[in-house]
Amino acid sequence: MADMHAIRVTVNGLPYEATVESRLLLADFLRDHLGLVGTHLGCEHGVCGACTVILNGRTVRSCLVFAVQADGAQIMTVEGLARDSQFHPLQEAFRDKQGLQCGFCTPGMLMRAYEFLQENPNPTEEEIREAIAGNLCRCTGYQFIVEAIQDAAARMAVASR
Amino acid sequence: MKPAAFTYFAPSSLDQAVSLLADHAPEAKPLAGGQSLIPLINFRLAESRYLIDLNRISELSYIREADGTIAIGAMTRQFEAERSELVSRTIPLLTEALRFTGHPTIRHRGTVGGALAHADPAAELPAVAVALGAELVARGPAGTRTIPAGEFFLGPLSTALAPDELLVEVRIPQLPPRAGWAFLELSRRHGDFAIVGVAAVITLAPDGRVERASLALCGAGPKPVRASRAEAALAGASPSQERFREAGEIAAQEIDPDSDLHASAYYRRRVATVLVRRALAEAHRRATEGR
Amino acid sequence: MATQAPARKWIGQSIPRVEDPRLLLGRGEYVTDLVLPGMVHAAILRSPLAHARIASIDASKARSLPGVLAVVTGREIKELTNPMPDFGPDPSKHTWWVLATDKVRYMGEPVAAVVATDRYIAEDACELIEVNYEPLPVVVDPVEAMKPGAPLVHEPLGTNVAYSRTFVFGDVERDFTEAEVVVRDHLRWHRSGAQPLETVGAVAQYNPATGMMTIYCNSVTFTFLLFLVANTLKIPSNKLNLIPCPAGGSFGSKFWAVRVPILAGMLAKLVGRPVKFVEDRIDNITTSDHHGSDRIYDVEMAAMRDGTLRSLRVKVVDDYGAYIQFGVGTHGNSLAQVVGPYKIKSVQYELYAVLTNKCQQGAYRGFGSEVTNWVVERMVDLVARELGMDPVEIRRKNFIQPHEFPYTIPTGNMYDSGNYPGVLEKALQLADYQGLREMQRRAREEGRYVGIGLISAQERSVFSSTEFWFWFDQPTGITSSPESVTLKMDPMGNITATLYSQAFWGQSPETMVAQVVAEEFDIDPSQVSVIYGGSAGGLPATGPGGSRFTIMVAGAIQGAARRIKEKMLKIASHKLEVAPEDLEFAEGKIRVRGTPERAMTLQEVAMLAYLFKLDLPPDIEESGLEADYTFDHPYTTMPAPDRKNLGVFYPFVGHACHIAAVEVDIETGQHTFLKYVAVHDAGTVVNPRSLNGQIIGGVAQGLGTAMYEQYVYSPDGQLLTGSYMDYLIPTAMEVPKVEIGHQETPSPFTPYGIKGAGEGGRMMTPAVVSAAIEDALAPFGVRVNEVPITPEKILRWIEEAQAPRP
Repeated sequence: MADMHAIRVTVNGLPYEATVESRLLLADFLRDHLGLVGTHLGCEHGVCGACTVILNGRTVRSCLVFAVQADGAQIMTVEGLARDSQFHPLQEAFRDKQGLQCGFCTPGMLMRAYEFLQENPNPTEEEIREAIAGNLCRCTGYQFIVEAIQDAAARMAVASR
Repeated sequence: MKPAAFTYFAPSSLDQAVSLLADHAPEAKPLAGGQSLIPLINFRLAESRYLIDLNRISELSYIREADGTIAIGAMTRQFEAERSELVSRTIPLLTEALRFTGHPTIRHRGTVGGALAHADPAAELPAVAVALGAELVARGPAGTRTIPAGEFFLGPLSTALAPDELLVEVRIPQLPPRAGWAFLELSRRHGDFAIVGVAAVITLAPDGRVERASLALCGAGPKPVRASRAEAALAGASPSQERFREAGEIAAQEIDPDSDLHASAYYRRRVATVLVRRALAEAHRRATEGR
Repeated sequence: MATQAPARKWIGQSIPRVEDPRLLLGRGEYVTDLVLPGMVHAAILRSPLAHARIASIDASKARSLPGVLAVVTGREIKELTNPMPDFGPDPSKHTWWVLATDKVRYMGEPVAAVVATDRYIAEDACELIEVNYEPLPVVVDPVEAMKPGAPLVHEPLGTNVAYSRTFVFGDVERDFTEAEVVVRDHLRWHRSGAQPLETVGAVAQYNPATGMMTIYCNSVTFTFLLFLVANTLKIPSNKLNLIPCPAGGSFGSKFWAVRVPILAGMLAKLVGRPVKFVEDRIDNITTSDHHGSDRIYDVEMAAMRDGTLRSLRVKVVDDYGAYIQFGVGTHGNSLAQVVGPYKIKSVQYELYAVLTNKCQQGAYRGFGSEVTNWVVERMVDLVARELGMDPVEIRRKNFIQPHEFPYTIPTGNMYDSGNYPGVLEKALQLADYQGLREMQRRAREEGRYVGIGLISAQERSVFSSTEFWFWFDQPTGITSSPESVTLKMDPMGNITATLYSQAFWGQSPETMVAQVVAEEFDIDPSQVSVIYGGSAGGLPATGPGGSRFTIMVAGAIQGAARRIKEKMLKIASHKLEVAPEDLEFAEGKIRVRGTPERAMTLQEVAMLAYLFKLDLPPDIEESGLEADYTFDHPYTTMPAPDRKNLGVFYPFVGHACHIAAVEVDIETGQHTFLKYVAVHDAGTVVNPRSLNGQIIGGVAQGLGTAMYEQYVYSPDGQLLTGSYMDYLIPTAMEVPKVEIGHQETPSPFTPYGIKGAGEGGRMMTPAVVSAAIEDALAPFGVRVNEVPITPEKILRWIEEAQAPRP
C-alpha cells in the first residue's frame, strides 16, 4: 500500500488540499497535481536550481523536498510573481536586458533573484554572481542575468521611493 | 529519476522521533535538511523503508550560549547559523566555513546537524567541528551521550551514532581571546565540495608566540583529519611564514587523501601544504590585528 | 573599407525578444508540461555495464507490478521497430536499435522500456527487471581499440575503425620540404557535451483507426527525412506527424535526436494510449546520443622563418563511441575551416573514426569545428613561440586580406567575405592589448603569473549536406538542406509565418522572423506572429544546426514575401491606377513613389485580396494572400570525383578575435580572469542584443569545455561523471564578464548579408583560454596541449616543465 498523506498548502496565495504519496517530490506535486508547470526539473538531484521555489519565505530546491514536508507551508512559484497580469519589475528587467534565452532556468533564477533583492536591494555585480551561483544557466553565460538583476534593483528602488 | 516508496513519519517532538527510530531501526533513516540525503534517494542509491522527518521538531532548532560553549540544535538551518550574530562573534570560523557549504538555497534547508551526521569527508562542517574540539550530543533509547568530534567521524558517511541514535546538538567552544581563525578551501567550482579544505585557529600567548594551534582538513582522508603533529610543531613557536610553511608540510604528511575524479591524492597533498600555510597566515593576521 | 550599409528599419535593432514574456511567466509550454487525456509514462532501464552479452531478461515481476501497462525489451524490439536511422559509413555492420538487442555496447544503453500510469511506478518496474549480463572485454581507449585483437564493439564490422582515409589538399610534400620551420605537437581534446537544462522528451499518441502517429517532441529537425523515422516505427510516411515543442536549450544536442520520439511512438502504438517519455538527467548524460568530439591529434605545421605559414599535416583519431549515427560529419566541419583565417597553402588530413564502449557522438555547438579552431590556434602559437614572434604579429602576417574574397581554401570550401585585420584591430583596442602586456610585465616583476591569450578564428555557417557524404567515393547523399516558410497576410494586414523544422529552442526564431518580415513589408514587428508547423503536410525544412537558421529562414521569408508583395502590387496598381513599379511598400502602406499621399493601407489591399476577387483584374487567379517558399542552400557545389577538392560546403564564414587575460596561482593551479574580450564579425547583425547573448553563452560553454567539463569513462567503461555533481557546468562565479565588439562585413551571398553566429563563442574560448594559461606559465615553458585544463594539470605541467630533461 502506498504511504499516503493529506496535506494543505498555500501556493501563490491560493489554498490547496491534496492527498499525496510520501515519496512525491514537491516539484512534481506543483507541476503534476497543481498544474503549476512553471517550476522546471532540470537535474532532480539538487544541483541545477531550475526547480527553485520559495517555501515559507526562503528559496529551496523543490526536487529536494517531499510534498508531504510542505504540509502547512506557504509556497511561491514563478506563477506568483506577476500580479494582475502585470510583470514584476524583475520580469520587466529580464525582458529588457534579455536575461534569458531558452527560459528553462528562468523561473528558478527569478525566484532566487526575488529573494536576494529583498535581502540586498542594492547589490554589486560580484554579490549577484555569488547569489545566483546555485542556479545553472546553460544559455546566457549569466552576464545579462546579472545586468537584469541590477536593473531590477534600480527599478524596485524607484518603485519603493 | 524518482524515489522508491517509503513510509514517512513526521514526529513533532524529539521523544517521538527517538521512539520511532528505535521502532524502525535499522531500516529507518532520519531526514534532516535532506540536501544530501534526498539526492541519494532520488538516485535510488539510499533506499530506506522508513524516513523519520525531523523538520517538525522545533525543539531541535536553536543557538545558545552555555558554559563557554555555543550549543547549536541539530535542526538549526545552516543559514541561521551563518547569520547568527552570536556565532559570528564567538565562533567566526564556523560562519566563514558555512559560506563554503553549498549555495544559499542549499543552506536554507540544510541543517548543521545534518551536515555533521552525514559525515561527508569533503564537507566543511565536520572539519570545523574537529578543529574546534566540538562535542556532539546524541540521543537514543538509552538516553543522551556526548561524543567528542574527534571520535564522532569514523569514515565516509559513517559516524559513531548507533542506528537508533539521533544527533541532537553540537557544542562548540568559543574562540578564546587572542585567537585568529581562517577557513580556506579549494574546489573546482564555487559551492562545490572541497577538493581540500582547511580549518585553522591560532591562539597567541601574550608575548606573541603561538600558544595553541588547531588544524583540521576536509577532502583529506576518509574523515576529517586533525593535523596534530603540525599543531604540536606550532605550539610555542614564534609565528612566521617559515613556521607556517613547515606546518603545511607536516600536515600534508598527516593526511590520507584519496584519488578521485576531481583530484589525485598527490595533488590534494600538494594543495593541502599550501592551504595550511595560507590559513595559518590568515589566522595569525586576525589574531594579531584583532578581528 | 567603409561601405555604406543600406538603410534598414528593423534589421539591426535590439528589439525585446518576442519569445520572452511567456517564458518569464512560466508558460514556456515545454514538452514535459504537456498532458493528454489518458496519458501514461515511460522510463528506460539502462545497462550498468559497458560491454556485455544479454543472456536473458526476465521482466515478469515488472509486468505484474500494479500500474504497469507494458515492458518492452530488446527481445521484442525487432518486431516492433526497424533499426534506427543511421547516416554512418556502413549501417548494416553497426546496426543501431532503439533498445539493445543482443548485447550492450556502452554503460547507459537502454535495454528495456516500461510504460506505467506514472513515472514513479515506471521506475519501480525498471528495478524489477532482471537482466542476466555476460560481461565482455571493454574497450574505452580509441588507440587501443584500433589495434588488431581489440574487443570488437560491432562484430560484423570486423574492426573498430569505422572509417579512415587520408586526404591531401594541395602540395603538402613540397610545402613541408621548403619549410624552414616545422613544429609538431600531440593534442588531446576530451569529450564534453551540450547538457541543456531541459532533456529530450516526447509525448506520442497513436490512433489505430486512422493509423496516424502524432508525436510532440522537442527535437524535430530535418522534416524531409522524417520518412526514416516512420520507417523505424513501421508506419507509412504520411501517417507520421511530429509536432515541435519549445525546447529548454539544445546547443546541437536536439539536432535529429530521434531516439526519444521513436521510443515514445513505439510505446504509444503498443499500449494504445498517449505515452510521455522524457529523459531524466542520467539518461541525458549517459545515453543522449549527443556527446561531443573526443579527439587525439598529431599535428605538424610548416612555416618560413619570417612567420609565413605554409602547410598543415593532421592525423586525428576520433572516439565516436559505440555507434556513428552521423558518420564523420563533424570532420566535414573541421575541413570547412581547417586553415583558419590564414593563407595556409596545403593540408593533409588523416582521419580515423574509432568505435569504443561509450555513448555515441552527436552534435555540440561547433560540431567539430571548434576543435579544429583550437588545434590551428594552438599550432600557430607554437610557431610564434618557435620564432619568438608576438601572437598578434604572426596572425597579421598570415591573414587572408579583405580584397582576396571570395577565397577558396585548399579543401575546396570557400570563405565568402571578411576583414580579419579589422576585427583584430578592434579587439586590440577594446582589450587595450598594450596595457595588458604592461600589466603582465609588472605582475611578473611581482612574481605573479599573468597570461594573455589572443586568437583569431573562423565561424563557418550554413552547412550543405555534402559534408555528410563526400568522405566516400560514391556520392550517396543529399545535396541541399532547404528551409521553408509559409507567409500569410490576413485581411487585417497582419502576417503569420509558419516554420516547419523546429519550435523555439532558446534562440530567437520569432524575434528574427518578426524583424525580417517587418523589414520586408515595412510594418511593425508586433504585426507578425509565428506558428511552428507540424511535419505532416509541412514543407521541407532542416532546422537549426551549423548556424544556418537565421540565414535560411530569412531567405525563405524573402522568397515568400516577394510572391505576396507582387500580388499586392498588382491589386494596388489596379486600384491606384499606377504601374506596379511606381509603387512601394512603406510605413504599413503601398504608396506611389514620390507621391506618398496616394496610398492604400496593407489592410485595404488584403481585404480586397480576400473578399473581392471579382473586383480585381483577371490575372489575379485566386483569392487570399499566402505564399510558400522553400529556400535552398544559396551557395554550394559538388565535390570533385577524386576528392582532392570537396567543393563549397560551408561558405558563409564569420570571424572572431578573442583576447583573455588570466592570472594563475601556481601553488594551487587555480586561475582568475582579469579580462575577456570578444570581437565578432557575423556579417549583418539582425538583433545585436540577441547576438551578444549567443556569444556570451557560447563563451560560457567554451569555458566549460576548456576548464571544467568532461565525460570521464573509467577503464572498464563506467561513466564517472554521471550527474551534475561531477559533470561541472560553470556557474556565474566561473564565467568572466565578456566585453563585446562587432564588425559587420556582409556576406555577398546571403539575405541581407547575414552570417550565422550561434556557435562562435564556444568555437573560440577553448583556444583563447589555452593560450592565456600557456602565456601565464611561459616562465616555466609550459605547453598547453590538452583540454579541459584543470588545476591539477596546471601543477603537473609546471612540474614536468621544470623536471630535468634526459
